[in-house]
Order: sequence, then structure tokens, then C-alpha cells
Amino acid sequence: MDQPLPFENGLVELLPRLRRFARALTHGMADADDLVQMAIERALRSKDQWQPGTRLDSWTYRIMRNLWIDTVRSRARKETFEAPPEEAERVGIDPGQTIEASADLQRVMNAMERLPGEQREVVALILIEGFGYKEVSEMLDLPIGTVSSRLVRGRTALLAMVGER
Amino acid sequence: MSVDEKFFAWLDGELSEPEAAEMAAKVAADPELARLAGEHQALQSKLKGVFDPIAEAPVPKRLIDAVHRPLAQVIDFQVAKKAREPQRPWRPAAQWAAIAATLVVGFFAGTLTSRQNDSPVRIQDGAVYASASLNEALYSSLASASTPGSVRIGLTFRDHTCSDGRASTETKSSGLACRNGDRWQLRGLFPAPEGQGDAYRMAAGMDPNLATLVNSTIAGDPFDPTQEKAAQRQGWK
Repeated sequence: MDQPLPFENGLVELLPRLRRFARALTHGMADADDLVQMAIERALRSKDQWQPGTRLDSWTYRIMRNLWIDTVRSRARKETFEAPPEEAERVGIDPGQTIEASADLQRVMNAMERLPGEQREVVALILIEGFGYKEVSEMLDLPIGTVSSRLVRGRTALLAMVGER
Repeated sequence: MSVDEKFFAWLDGELSEPEAAEMAAKVAADPELARLAGEHQALQSKLKGVFDPIAEAPVPKRLIDAVHRPLAQVIDFQVAKKAREPQRPWRPAAQWAAIAATLVVGFFAGTLTSRQNDSPVRIQDGAVYASASLNEALYSSLASASTPGSVRIGLTFRDHTCSDGRASTETKSSGLACRNGDRWQLRGLFPAPEGQGDAYRMAAGMDPNLATLVNSTIAGDPFDPTQEKAAQRQGWK
């Protein structure tokens, strides 16, 4: 019987968290899952660049975040002549899905989507995914001071938006 | 670190002692700071309340399958994705594949590299590099310039793991090379099936295996002629 490979097993274990981070970056679960799938494929192709003993989660998050940046750049060009996504998709939670958010939680989701991407990724990685400042600094190739200041701006803007009634 | 940043670093457990104890005392003594701390802790709870259920939900089978799918079958994802959501505007991977194929089809021509050595590659220290003639062609040719030569460059682009990637097509093989120091290291080399001549390759466009490889490594769009010439002037670095 074939033995499961640790690298692939590690990716499978990461999938729930990757979906959560991808949803924080994108505007809808369908886009999030597409991003996760692209990240998996990129990770598999780059498998020999991952060093066993180092954190697979940080490495894979980084891959996905870079793919997302490429996608945002590409989409920014396309959206100049394409209609925006339907509201149901923009808001994010697919109809019929078991995940339901109260109006209050929906307000938080909407506020996240209104944050600039550079703040949203830092807020997601630290406040939702639970990474430390230093880990995020290394993951994003940013000085730790930049991570810290983006986090302050992002969470302050979020609180202001969520507080709007 | 600003006062705000220090406060939030404390809130996130990032401050070490004695700064953490000092900030804790400051917050305890300042009702406004204490209220702010409470609001931000509540905000984080709400964020987790929104996003944690996503991590607790069942993972779609297609994602689990993607981990275990042989890499050679990755191209099937593009087909499946296109069929699943034909009208979705956010389809970057498929878009890249289309761009790559379009560019490569227009630039196919030429004959195989060296007459002395029929192989376009050399193996050194376990890595596969372009042979001298292919190396020179990759260095000096532009995808945007239709100059005569033994190798035609299909497209040039940048990816996350090497400085520049270049896809080339010739009569006997096509491949993807990225710059590694002064040489071009081959990421993939795909021989043409027996009996396929120039006319067939022109009609078929980019080798599907090469298209898959390009699609999985490209970051952003392929270079336009200006970007490509600039990259060439800088020695493809």
C-alpha cells in the first residue's frame, strides 16, 4: 500500500485555514476556493523549494498571498471594462451554504472587504489566522514596523466601519 | 514604535517585559484606553466569529483532490473550471493560458539548435541547463522580435521563484527556462511527438504540457515588447 506523503498530508491539513485566509483576501467563497486551488497547484510544483523542518503553513500562505496580488493586478485591468460581480457573490457567503452570519457579523465581513488590500492581509494574518508580527513580516517581506502600522490603520478603520449604524 | 502601535502590540501579546507590564498598568489606570482595548478585543472576536466557521466547514472535495492529483493532470483544472463558471469575470489562470498560447503560436518557426550537439540541454550538479547554443539564443532573442535563428522565443515573463521565465519552441522540443546566474536553467523540456513537423506545431500552438507549466509559474502577464527589451538590457536579471 502506498504511504501518504507528509508534504501532501500537510497541505490537506492546511486546507481549512487556507480557505479562511483566502476568503479574507477575496470577495466570495467561489473566488476563495479558486485561489486555494491555484495555491495548492503552485505549492505542489514548488515542492522542492520547501525545506522540511520549516513551517509549511507560512510557506503556503505566502504562495497564496502572492497569487492573490497577481490576481488583483490582473483584475484591476479587466474591471475597467467588465461589470462588477453580482451583489450576492460580492458579499461572499454562497446562498444555501451552511455558514450563516448574523447582521452584525455580516457588517464585519463587509467592513473587511472595504479595507485596502495591504491592510486586509495584515489584519487577516494576525487577528484571524493568529500569526505573530515577526512571522507576518517574514511572510510578506515587509519591515515589522510596516506590518505594525498597517495593522493599526486596518483595525482602526474596521472598528470605525463596524461601529457605523 | 508609536504609542498606538505599542498599545496594540500589547493587546496582541507582542510586547515583552518590562514594556508589557508598563502598558498593562497604563491601560488599567486610563478608562479611555481600557474602553479602546475592550472594543478592539470585541472586534477581533467578531472577526473570528465571521471567518472561523469557514475553517470549520467541510472542505470541498475538489480541493482535496487537487492535492493528490498528479501534476500532469493539473491542466484538467482549467477545463473543469471553465465549464463550471463560464461567465465568471475572475479567471486569471485561464486568462494567462490564453495569453500564453496566443503569443507562442505566432512565433513558432526555426530548426533545432546545434549541429555539433543535438541536445539543447546540459546536466550539471543535478540541474538541467541550456546548452551553449540554446543559452545564447535565450539570451539574445526577443519574443517580440521576429529575427532569424534556430530558436524562437514564445513569451517572456516574470515569476516568483526566478528572475525571468522564457518559453521557447523549436522543431524538436519546446520548453521553459529561467535565469539562474549567468545561465538559463530548464524548468521543463517537452519533445514533439514523433512525426510532427512544423506545420502541425503551428496549428497546435503551445505544447499542452508547456502551457500547463507556464500557467503554473507565471506571475502577472507576459512581458510586452518594452518590458522584454528592458529586461534584456539588464541581462535578464
